Amino acid sequence: MEELFGVSMNLIMAVLLAIFVPALVIVAVLGWRNPIMLKLALRNIPRRRAQTVLIVVGIMLSSVIMATAFGTGDTINHSIRTEAVKVLGPVDEIIFSARASSGDIFGTNPYFPESKFQELRDALAGVDAVDGLTPGIGEIVPVINPRTLLSAGRARVVGVDSGSLDGFGFFRLTSGGAANLDTLDWNEAYINDKAADELDAIIGDDLSLVISGSGEVVFRVKGVVDRGGLAGDAATIIIPLLRAQDLFGRPNQVNSIVVSNRGNEIDGADFSKEVTRLLRAHFADPDVAAELKSLLSQEELLEPLKRLAASKQGNLGEDLEELVTELASPEVSNALISLLSDDQVQSGIREALEDAALEDDELDQQGRQVSTLMADLGSFRVLAVKRLALDIADRVASGVTTFFIILGLFSIMVGVLLIFLIFIMLAAARRTEMGMARALGAKRRDLVQMFVFEGTAYALVSAAIGVLIGLGVSALIVTVANRFIGAFDDNFRLTSHFTARSAIVAYCLGMLISFGTVAFSAYRVSRMNIVTAIRGLPEPLVLPVERPLKDRLLAVVRAIFRPFFFGFYSGRAAIHGAFRASARDAGLMIFWMLAFPIWAAGVLIAIFRLILPYLLNGWLTVFLGLLIGWSGVAGEEAAPFRIGGTLVIIGVGLLIRSFLRRTAVRVEARDRIAFTFMGVVNLVFWILPFSTMRTLAGDLEGGPEMFFISGISMVAAAVWTIMYNSDLMLKGISFISGRFGKMRPVLVTAVAYPMSAKFRTGLTLAMFALVIFTLIVVSILTEAFSTTSDRVVSATGGWDIEGTIAPGTPITDIGQAIEDSPALSADSFRAVGGYTTIAFEARQVGAESHKWEWYRVRAADDRFLAETEYKVKLISDGYGPSSRDVWEALRRDPNLAVVDAAVVPSRGGFDDGEIAFRLEGVFYEDDEMAPIEIEVRDPLSGRVTQLTVIGVLDVVSDNFGNMGFGMFTARAMLEEATPRVVPITRYRFKVSPGVDPSAAGKGLEAAFRDHGMETEVLADVVNQQNSANRAFNYLFTGYMAMGLLVGIAALGVISLRAVVERRQQIGVQRAIGYRRGMIQLSFLFESSFIALLGIAIGLGLGTIMSYNIVKDIREQVGIETLRFSIPWIQITVIVVLAYVFSLLTTFLPARQASRIHPAEALRYE
Amino acid sequence: MQDLIIAAHGLHKTYDTGTVSVHALRGVDLEVTRGEMVAIMGPSGCGKTTLLNCLSGLDEIDDGQVLIDGVVLHDLADDQRSDYRARRMGFVFQLYNLLPVLSSVENVEMPLLVSGVGAKEARFRSLEMLEMVGLTDRARHLPGELSGGQRQRVTIARALVNQPAIVWADEPTGDLDSETAGGIIDLMCDLNQTNGQSFVLVTHSIEVGSRAHRIVRMRDGMIVDDGHGSGPLQSSATNTGPSSES
Repeated sequence: MEELFGVSMNLIMAVLLAIFVPALVIVAVLGWRNPIMLKLALRNIPRRRAQTVLIVVGIMLSSVIMATAFGTGDTINHSIRTEAVKVLGPVDEIIFSARASSGDIFGTNPYFPESKFQELRDALAGVDAVDGLTPGIGEIVPVINPRTLLSAGRARVVGVDSGSLDGFGFFRLTSGGAANLDTLDWNEAYINDKAADELDAIIGDDLSLVISGSGEVVFRVKGVVDRGGLAGDAATIIIPLLRAQDLFGRPNQVNSIVVSNRGNEIDGADFSKEVTRLLRAHFADPDVAAELKSLLSQEELLEPLKRLAASKQGNLGEDLEELVTELASPEVSNALISLLSDDQVQSGIREALEDAALEDDELDQQGRQVSTLMADLGSFRVLAVKRLALDIADRVASGVTTFFIILGLFSIMVGVLLIFLIFIMLAAARRTEMGMARALGAKRRDLVQMFVFEGTAYALVSAAIGVLIGLGVSALIVTVANRFIGAFDDNFRLTSHFTARSAIVAYCLGMLISFGTVAFSAYRVSRMNIVTAIRGLPEPLVLPVERPLKDRLLAVVRAIFRPFFFGFYSGRAAIHGAFRASARDAGLMIFWMLAFPIWAAGVLIAIFRLILPYLLNGWLTVFLGLLIGWSGVAGEEAAPFRIGGTLVIIGVGLLIRSFLRRTAVRVEARDRIAFTFMGVVNLVFWILPFSTMRTLAGDLEGGPEMFFISGISMVAAAVWTIMYNSDLMLKGISFISGRFGKMRPVLVTAVAYPMSAKFRTGLTLAMFALVIFTLIVVSILTEAFSTTSDRVVSATGGWDIEGTIAPGTPITDIGQAIEDSPALSADSFRAVGGYTTIAFEARQVGAESHKWEWYRVRAADDRFLAETEYKVKLISDGYGPSSRDVWEALRRDPNLAVVDAAVVPSRGGFDDGEIAFRLEGVFYEDDEMAPIEIEVRDPLSGRVTQLTVIGVLDVVSDNFGNMGFGMFTARAMLEEATPRVVPITRYRFKVSPGVDPSAAGKGLEAAFRDHGMETEVLADVVNQQNSANRAFNYLFTGYMAMGLLVGIAALGVISLRAVVERRQQIGVQRAIGYRRGMIQLSFLFESSFIALLGIAIGLGLGTIMSYNIVKDIREQVGIETLRFSIPWIQITVIVVLAYVFSLLTTFLPARQASRIHPAEALRYE
Repeated sequence: MQDLIIAAHGLHKTYDTGTVSVHALRGVDLEVTRGEMVAIMGPSGCGKTTLLNCLSGLDEIDDGQVLIDGVVLHDLADDQRSDYRARRMGFVFQLYNLLPVLSSVENVEMPLLVSGVGAKEARFRSLEMLEMVGLTDRARHLPGELSGGQRQRVTIARALVNQPAIVWADEPTGDLDSETAGGIIDLMCDLNQTNGQSFVLVTHSIEVGSRAHRIVRMRDGMIVDDGHGSGPLQSSATNTGPSSES
């Protein structure tokens, strides 16, 4: 994986190391200079072994999550790269006709003269970066092995020119050695191992290839070769080029040229940019390129391009920057031609010009001209397949890692809270000894150092263990994932992989998170009152004395110039001849300069202290909030807007508090008013529906990080409100518990204790609530999307089976064929329909963009249109009101069409970037649409047909299996639109009641073996996809539930601590008559109270959040079938497990407490 | 025959830490009559607190017998003993030992609630008790908000609220200045006089001891003077005598 959050992993590692190493060195130096504190710190570690284990477990969680995320990302990257290399072998680029819709190694593409290959070979002679160039033919045909009666409906036949295989290695026989194409007889072929598997074919088998126009042609298997590279990844039959040209009636023609770059199978991709440029320049028309350059160089077109270049990241951003530079140079360079021919750059140019045209109508005409010129630039397309595959591997891996990290953020946050809690409690436990140390002369910084030493020791070990466990978890995820991938793909498997870089990054991140938390908590606990600490009294409520402004300003100056002060001291000491001191200070100066991040952190802290009084006053907080909120609105980003809003609310709360200070209102009352205001208003602010936010601030963009920010903010606001009003809750419980007789004392203490330790309880409550919140949101969203997916009819159009046949062997009349077939019973099928998928070019009449874009047409026969139950989401006036009415209209009029949801833009930004064709003037979320006129052009004949779009398919119909995209029309449309004779290649069947679709599918395959029919039971496809989705969702839920462990551990920690802290009080309780059981129950009630309160907060807020998300997706994306429903069983399981485990964790401490002998407890100090 | 409320015979108690064995009580016999106020005194480590803990059933004994109102205390199961303590005993400790998270009145009502008294009645009686110790205005305050003397008054109120037969007090003035300590001991004597409850006090303070009806002296886990024989303080202790109501 090369990037995370758009930042290079190398840079991330370098920055982390730049922080980690100096931080560690500083700790080491401090330890060396302060050996007593180091000793005190380290001796604390083995003092309570169980506690140490708990701390290590708590601290390692963030490393586990990081390592899991990175491990999974690395695995996916490695696996996709390996697969790409395995599939493509030495093939780096593929050249095919610009009229082809997609590139593939020898796909079925339009043919061109073989002479183009000769020309290219001559042109590239002497180009170092290319070490192989070969022409080829690729076609898809049905193949049958009569010996085994097995067939492959869509096998590939490739024609390879044995004379130009230099640079491509050789075909490796599975039996060992190389296959020689020149030794093949006229009707002999090699097959790859995949074909051998599918057909159960062995050497000497005679395979029947069903060729369009020639009928069956038999080839004898000469040998089996390894798949990959020119031998293909699907079932492939390999024959010499000449034989293929003869077989398909294409003498002296080929349909692709394959290029291999210098270097091995992976390094070759490094030359892709250079080679692609050369190739594109070779095939481009220089005059068109020159014309394009002069158009794009105009200031009004160049400006939007520059803006777009600045806004795009990654490869596209770099390419656009280069394009802008090239446009400024006087020549039409190869680089410019190559950039202009690049698909991605072309779509970038279109995007920039469309944006500009929206503001200026005059630019519209020029934009169209640019589009036309780009389409005419070259007659060939060059696809850097290897580079693309490797880039995809990087992108997918980076996406998966980001996804896991964002999902894991909650657990990381909970882990951070636990570390904080642990250290606060450690400090509480050691308060007396720390007070003594302070009384004996230890400085506050000595105490900070002591904790930091101890924390660093824990963190160093924990992070290492965490990384190892994380690797284990990622391996587990890979194992589970492989099980589901196996259901879809026989070939691809994930292979666990982890790079040292990721291990370092995960370790450093985990370590630094722990280290930072420890340092912060150490600083917090060091601010103790010595007397109260020694006497074990509660910390008095002493307001910190505000340092004068002058001191705070000086502190900022000191922080900024810290290294230079050491330089000054060093110089001064040198002048006075104190060379040793001078050298020491010089060393310190160099150290601070090298430890730049720590230096910078010191400056930031000093600045924060400078402005803290104004922040606490409220006005600066309000101002900052407004500033951040405004930046969010201006930049159309949701996160800054929401964070700014929160700050404003907090600021107003602080202002209220400041104002009340001047009145006679009591301290407790004014704090309650101000803090409750902050909590309640923030809670309302965060649970407002997204639509209300849009009304407030317009359309703001928010990524998955908003989920995290919202969750934290909602939970924090709720916990904050509860903790500031805990006395009310206590009174309420006290009132209610009056009815419980003897349970009353138990209940009252069970609530009074946690509510008196507000900070500790608040932290634990927040942890618990956060984890439950996440799990609830994930569960409800999974349920919402599963509900959508469960609507099998929406996804399958009511059809039971899909049968695909090879294009070369059509079935004339499927109905008749079924009746005639002795193997099939016509009664088994209620309905049969068929359609063919054919690539056209399309554009909307009168639209802004006049470019012809590729778009598939699904031309369906009358029976298909009569029986399909696909739901139409948007229906034009006069063609409704029901979906059936629309399909009937299509049957009557071949010039009507229904498009799929992917080509209709969404207000919610639900766009599929892969599809170039887009309709304008309609949004998927609309309730109605006017008929839209479009033109479709046959790419071969250039014939243009006008169609009227009268409906848009429901988005659910597009999202399953291989049902694919494209617009539906009646088959009769093709008669007018293309001279090509396009047979039906896909059939749909509805089986009669009581007929098993799977058995019926097998029957169809057997009956239509000669046509290469392969069937799928559509409900199975949908269910398989659903179950895979569910399995992945459970996997993610499990991954996120790791946070739950921490929440439960936190309860255990505070219960353990409570038993120690309250030993004497337990003695008193026992003395005044509490039974053992009552003490135990009191502890269990106490943790139950926190756990149940946390569960209630998480459950409530999670449900509200999920409701908002589901509602927003339904309204914005327009998925009408998406329903908000609560998966009660799953949520009950989560809640019960969380509660039971928290009780179990508290059970031991509670039991321990109940067994304390009262006399012993009373003696305890 | 005297009306005995506490009768302890041949009490032995050994603390074994694994490496060191301390024989804390070595055959102690002690009798206390109803309404009597007895002070147990002696040097540090002589076993005073251990004796008090064993007599009150907070601690187990290795040998001997403790009868409280004729009930063999250590024959009771732990829960029964807890219930017995809740109904019949009150405790006052040196470090007050109030539950810091509960207000004064909540602390005081705790023994009543534990013994199953209804919430309303418990609150009423607790407020009455607080009034008796002069802390009505501090009823809603948390212990942290009270002075040492006030805390000890709350502790006394808690010890007496369930009208126990016996009040055990372990160094009740140990953490107080002499003036406050005087006030506390006055209060205890008054309550003893008024309610006729038996008080067993462990103390180092001569002043506190001198206010008791009898002083029991201990050394090395044994009673060396049970206050009925001769001794320097015998006259003052026996002169006071239990109240006439007992």
